[in-house]
Amino acid sequence: MEKIALQDIEVQVEASNWQEAITKAGQLLADDHKIDIGYIDSMIQAVNQLGPYIVLMPEFALAHAAPSSHVKETSISLITLKKPVYFGSKNDPVSIVMCIACVDKTSHMELLQEVAKKLMTDGILNKMKQCRTSEELYALFN
Amino acid sequence: MRPKIQTVCGFGCGSSLMLKMKIDDILKANHLEADTFCSDVGTCLANPCDVIFISKELGEQIKDRAKVPVIIIDNFMNTKEVEQKVLDYYKTNK
Repeated sequence: MEKIALQDIEVQVEASNWQEAITKAGQLLADDHKIDIGYIDSMIQAVNQLGPYIVLMPEFALAHAAPSSHVKETSISLITLKKPVYFGSKNDPVSIVMCIACVDKTSHMELLQEVAKKLMTDGILNKMKQCRTSEELYALFN
Repeated sequence: MRPKIQTVCGFGCGSSLMLKMKIDDILKANHLEADTFCSDVGTCLANPCDVIFISKELGEQIKDRAKVPVIIIDNFMNTKEVEQKVLDYYKTNK
């Protein structure tokens, strides 16, 4: 099963802060017509309102917002950053941002489960950071 | 004992789902039984449960109002940390 589409992956992205990092990860899905720009704003708002809890583990942030009409297709994008950004979390700095968009609360469960399994693999974050092309990162995940 | 375990994140469908899956794996590996479900921080206190697993940032927003134990997880993907905290819960609530 393809978990993340090649066009929704980018490596060595430049972002000067966490807002820009989320925007760039979300933009991949917007360019791919899977979400509209409103969803990117919702993801940033979520961090502003609820705090940096999305930094689930050292170096890794899982950006998402509530399912809404801004989401056209359940999808995931993934970027690695050239220089890490800070969310104000204990797990800072963050070098990898994954963005999840879901049309409802349940239909993405299987997809998320597969992705979570990957993320729990030992040393996976280092391998992700070392990828120099999006094809390499794609191969690691799919 | 078969507790109702609630995992919580901002919207009840991203990180809380990952944490729920992690806890399910740990329960299975340790032959423990529980009903696990995920939910969002806005409604979690209204859901009947025996214990809440949550991130540090969100946990601080609810812990003073919660009527059940609130267990803070720093690293959602760290099996050791989650396992330790799950087992501690079972030990103290036999």
